[in-house]
Amino acid sequence: MRTSIREFATSDWRRFRRSRLAVVGVGVILLFALLAAFAPYIVTDPTQIEMRREQDGQTLRPPFPPNRLNPFGTDQLGRDIFARVVYGLRTSLIVGILVRGISMVAGVLLGLISGFFPRYVDDLIMRFTDIMLAFPVILLAMTVTAVLGPGLVTVCVALALVAWPDVARLVRGQALSIRGQTYVEAARCVGAGSWRILLRHVLPNCMGPIIVAFSMGIPGAIMYEAGLSFFGFGIQPPTPSLGSIISDGRGYITVAPWYPGFPGLVLTILVLSVNLVGDGLIDVMNPRAALGMQNSRSAT
Amino acid sequence: MLGYSVRRLIQIVPILIGLVTVLFALLNILPGDPARMMAGPFADPDVVRTIREEMGFNRPLWVQYLDNLGNLARGEFGRSYQSRRPILRDLIEVFPKTIQLAVAAEVASALVGIWLGVIAAARRNGWADRLIMTIAALNLSFPLFWLALMLQIAFAVFLRLLPPSGYGIGFDRFIILPAFTLALPSLGLLARITRAALLEVMAEDYIRTARAKGLRNALVMRRHMLPNALIPIVSTIGTDFVRLLGGIPIIEVIFAWPGIGKYAYDALVFRDLPALQASVVVLAVSVSLVNLAVDLLYAYINPRIRYV
Repeated sequence: MRTSIREFATSDWRRFRRSRLAVVGVGVILLFALLAAFAPYIVTDPTQIEMRREQDGQTLRPPFPPNRLNPFGTDQLGRDIFARVVYGLRTSLIVGILVRGISMVAGVLLGLISGFFPRYVDDLIMRFTDIMLAFPVILLAMTVTAVLGPGLVTVCVALALVAWPDVARLVRGQALSIRGQTYVEAARCVGAGSWRILLRHVLPNCMGPIIVAFSMGIPGAIMYEAGLSFFGFGIQPPTPSLGSIISDGRGYITVAPWYPGFPGLVLTILVLSVNLVGDGLIDVMNPRAALGMQNSRSAT
Repeated sequence: MLGYSVRRLIQIVPILIGLVTVLFALLNILPGDPARMMAGPFADPDVVRTIREEMGFNRPLWVQYLDNLGNLARGEFGRSYQSRRPILRDLIEVFPKTIQLAVAAEVASALVGIWLGVIAAARRNGWADRLIMTIAALNLSFPLFWLALMLQIAFAVFLRLLPPSGYGIGFDRFIILPAFTLALPSLGLLARITRAALLEVMAEDYIRTARAKGLRNALVMRRHMLPNALIPIVSTIGTDFVRLLGGIPIIEVIFAWPGIGKYAYDALVFRDLPALQASVVVLAVSVSLVNLAVDLLYAYINPRIRYV
């Protein structure tokens, strides 16, 4: 059983490193994060319009295809799509981490309370998660952003609102199984209060599943943000979002396939990388499953 | 088993009441006056007022809420603000089309996904395994709306093989693109789960016995491994079907498929509370029914599980 983050840092990193794909995932995410963080120093102004361009004595009109200046081409106003994608990555990463952060804090707290406090508290919280889980996710998120008005903050709130029940369920299950352990009883015997036991003994012992749930939930948040923005319920211009760039590019799909094509490709690679890291983390946090797989491989 | 099912069905009721309450609260905070939406932007104020009175928008909120709940309890979904038709009639028209699309996608992805998983497990660590697992991971990472768009370009615009969007009667060419788009992520998931489940079973003693008595590999797979790996596969198909229903609104809107997802989306855009509420209720009930069906199927596959 995992006890501390420090322990994760030493032996588990070695196990994580063994999965090459997960390391590649970390590399891609780092690269994207650096691009997003230093966007103003790396790419040109994503709002700069260029309505005509002279080439070989001809006057060209945007959207321009990919060229030396614009690796991903330009949109219908001559704006550099690569620059817009880099700024869009910024949005995606912020939303992914923020949404997952908020929903994890809410889900972990409610899950711990639900699994540890008296029956009626548990029932109250679990029935509420039932209601939230019964909603079709995208419709609920759209309704919430419609109510609060679109924008970065509202999108995060809406997506966190649909994401926490899963976390609460997971943590509640963990808390229930830890509640009966001897060390919890021992802590109670020496006079520790419920909250102290929860935060000092129960929480550290469900860190493994929590870390996995954190990383596995990020792709969903990123994709739902892009989806909301695609349908006009999400991030509003001028803030670039991969979803809204793809949505703008819809109308130019036949004359400029690069316009919706590249942003989606980058989005796919980002989501794929986070998924790969998540798979690597599962192997680390659940060494028995990983060992079982190896045994079965050598057995036959 | 019957008692268990009935109890599960009764448990849906408070969840539905909660759903309706949350939706009612959300939509009443929503800016915009439904009476004005119905009358149109240039309507006479008198007309707007008449509609408001006719539809009861001028009553106190709690009266509207209780009235709404009472109507639902009697199975009356009311009339759509938008089409002015009884919502029940709309739903009867749109819901089967969603079922048609979702079932087509799930069946296709289950067949192909399990097949790919079996190949990957049989050739584990070989190039076929690596290829299939890479495709599976990729399929799980595609944003649905972008995938839909790209498939539309590829098959409808450039290859001109399939219609880009729309609906045709029966299982015809119109269903192929939306069902395929919906099926791709599920297919990846099922291939992975099937492979993992098979690898776990592979270490069991009875597999070694089966091999030791000289059974052919294909027969060991079909008779001994697949049936024992079926439980995680079936449960994944169940949860995946629920996930697939969640992606339905996106796919239906992009492919102009006139199902319940598009109906709900249109209702939201139009602030059509009764229509939105009815479609959410229907979707939530179908999700609960699928979950129940999966649990019952467990007991059928694994006789050790008994519900009381």
